[in-house]
Amino acid sequence: MSEKPYTFDESPEQTSQSTLRRDAIYGDVGEEDQHNAMTGYGKPNNDHERDAVTKPQYKTKVKTQTLDIAQPETKLPKQVVEDAWEVDSKKGGLSLGAATLGFGVVSLIGFFVFEAYTTLAANVSEHPIGTGVLGALLVGFVSCLSFLSFKEWRGYKQVNTAMEDASVIRDLLASNGTDPSAQQESSVGGEPLAGTEASPQKIDRVLSQHGKRFSRGSYAAHCFDRYKQQLQDDMTGPERLGLYEDTVLKPVQEKAHKVLNKESVTAGSLAFISPNNLIQTFAVVWISFRTIRRMARVYGLRPSTAGNWKLLKVLAQNIAAQGVFDLATDEVANQIGGSLSAKFMENSAEAIAAGALNARLGRALIKLLK
Amino acid sequence: MQKNIATLFDKTWAMASLTGDKLSSVFNKETHRFTITGLSRSGKSMLFTSLITMLKSRSEEGYACLPLLRYLPPSQVLDMHIEPIEGYKPFPHLQNITDLENGQWPKATEEAFGFKLVVRLKETASLKRHVLPHSNVVFEFIDYPGEWVTDVPMLSKNYAHWSDSAWAQLSSGPQQYFASQWKAFVNQFDFEQEPTEQRIQLLVNAYRDYLVDAKANGISLLQPGSFLLESSDFDWQAFGFTPLPSSITSDVSHPWFKIFDKHFAKFQSGWLTPLKQSIFKETDKQIILVDLFEGLNHSRQHLYQLKETLSHLADTFVYGQSTWFSRNVLKKEQIGKVAFVATKSDLVPVSQRGNLLHLLTQITEGARARFEGKPIQFEHFLVSSMQVTDDGSNADAIRYKDSDDRYVESTFEPIPSTLKEMEEGSHFPVPDVSVPSDFKARILAGKGVDRLLQFLLGKGEQE
Repeated sequence: MSEKPYTFDESPEQTSQSTLRRDAIYGDVGEEDQHNAMTGYGKPNNDHERDAVTKPQYKTKVKTQTLDIAQPETKLPKQVVEDAWEVDSKKGGLSLGAATLGFGVVSLIGFFVFEAYTTLAANVSEHPIGTGVLGALLVGFVSCLSFLSFKEWRGYKQVNTAMEDASVIRDLLASNGTDPSAQQESSVGGEPLAGTEASPQKIDRVLSQHGKRFSRGSYAAHCFDRYKQQLQDDMTGPERLGLYEDTVLKPVQEKAHKVLNKESVTAGSLAFISPNNLIQTFAVVWISFRTIRRMARVYGLRPSTAGNWKLLKVLAQNIAAQGVFDLATDEVANQIGGSLSAKFMENSAEAIAAGALNARLGRALIKLLK
Repeated sequence: MQKNIATLFDKTWAMASLTGDKLSSVFNKETHRFTITGLSRSGKSMLFTSLITMLKSRSEEGYACLPLLRYLPPSQVLDMHIEPIEGYKPFPHLQNITDLENGQWPKATEEAFGFKLVVRLKETASLKRHVLPHSNVVFEFIDYPGEWVTDVPMLSKNYAHWSDSAWAQLSSGPQQYFASQWKAFVNQFDFEQEPTEQRIQLLVNAYRDYLVDAKANGISLLQPGSFLLESSDFDWQAFGFTPLPSSITSDVSHPWFKIFDKHFAKFQSGWLTPLKQSIFKETDKQIILVDLFEGLNHSRQHLYQLKETLSHLADTFVYGQSTWFSRNVLKKEQIGKVAFVATKSDLVPVSQRGNLLHLLTQITEGARARFEGKPIQFEHFLVSSMQVTDDGSNADAIRYKDSDDRYVESTFEPIPSTLKEMEEGSHFPVPDVSVPSDFKARILAGKGVDRLLQFLLGKGEQE
């Protein structure tokens, strides 16, 4: 491509332009018309009657240049395929948690070997390599553990920041995303007017900040990508906010409720088939952590494993409630007798309780993250 | 006897089914009737073609377009289909798409077409979804030649009144140049001769020549517009009429006045009245399409004339808010929502669209004056049915492929935001854009259609 991608082929002072819809303006342009254009006086074709009224001549306010580049092709918009997003992320290699555990196990084994080695050799100074390897393993373990702790802390902080963002978005939604200047703009029409573009920019900034916090591969991030694809440059602030609500906030909320329902059914099913209370408690704890993890995947915010104390408090309350419920159902079953129907009734009641308690945990989580 | 009982049972069953269908349609069918009013070349046919393409691509192929149309969320749309409207030819959507594929713009509408867009929506209300799992949203659209709409205000006039006002109009404004030949013809015409069929045709043909010439040169206020179309059912060759000088119209016994008065009455009763009843039937939503480029392409006078034409058009319709009682018992609708739409907005740079919108609000002032004291919701919109231009090298420029297949860049001086700002003797020529080969992607990239539909369908979130 040349440095100058266009050439001037028309004079800016011309009264009409051949590249534009000239025939629509003046009809077919004959020699006489060209003469008229040069002289500036109109004289229609062989029409002496029109002499009394001068043919209008206009000065063009548009300059046109020919470019020597090809027209870029417009791509079709993205297709919104069925929600094929899965709650469980695909395992991509070794996770950090597994690495920590691995280092720990290796260190432990290493210390055992080292211990055995020192016992057997009884001379540590004579074996510097073994000591070095074991030391390195230990350093790795400590480093990973520290990094993991840092991630946990950052996850906790992130949730709190996201909650602050969410409250800003909620405020904007409540006021229909307008400040006084933007309201004036929307009263005249759908298109933004010159000079009142601060509002869309502000809303864009808030939404982008909120969107950036979604972890990669989460449902929220998936929805945020869809929002960005549908964003158009002429959208006003309230329209951007409405689009964000439709493409991110609402679908994420719906997905969270769907996942929670599924998890509650699983919790109930596990409680139903658990042979004893100990296994049932473990199952409830496991499903509770899984619910937290899955919900976090939907919202794209990781409240950290040991993260938000509010959730742990709900979890502890759930386990306690489940224990109390177990005692109650045991007692009822004893009163009825040890028949199969009594056992069935006891398990059914516990299943309902487990499901309801898990739903309670999920609702607390939704309240926290939305 | 048995046969009679069986027939009676069948009839009762048929009635019950019919009643059931009607009842279910009351609960799960929502019909929106749109009157789309636009002068010729205002882009009605292209808007319909784009609308169908956008909605079909959105619901059937899952393309993420019309993002601001919250009323029809893609997750709830089950399917969409087009149905004909009784008494109308089906809208040639496929023909228009074929034309675009062949690099031609859809042909100008010369007769009325009607179609219904039926969108089946998944019911989300917790109780209702078990009883009626889906609901239908029906949009009724009628496409008609823009030339017809300019004639409807003639219904409220008699011949003498119309003739005097038409004569005054063609003697002023930008049309006076194009009318000079017609006026010269009238001046040398011998009205002392009896109005025979040949003489009437001579006069009508001369007047029609003026109408054709003026239309080609951007004049919008042309009556009767129906004379411009061969396809109009009114036989203007046999029952034509023209405006006459006041020296004739003031004499009710003049044979030329008598014959034109008779023809004018026939035009009103045999053509305009049924036209208004069938096409401009009472609806509750109106879209008024305005091609501002018809004015910008020519002069400030053309813009003033466009304003005057729109003002006359607004006189034709019944405005007000329909109540449940008037809609369902009196079967009478009033237009409660009006959208003023400037089409082809992609033909100006983004930086100038604010000015274009302001200009549109001023052009519609006269029409909006009809809403005073009535609970009418109205908005102004800029719409591009197809995004045919690309961004230019600077904020005031656009790029497009012209009819000579050259990729060009047009740089605009500031577009006036008011009529007063339009410099006398200057104009903004319309970019002569060819149909892009990637037209489908550009239709789906069209802007403003979702905003427009959301305003018309939404329950007042915009205000």
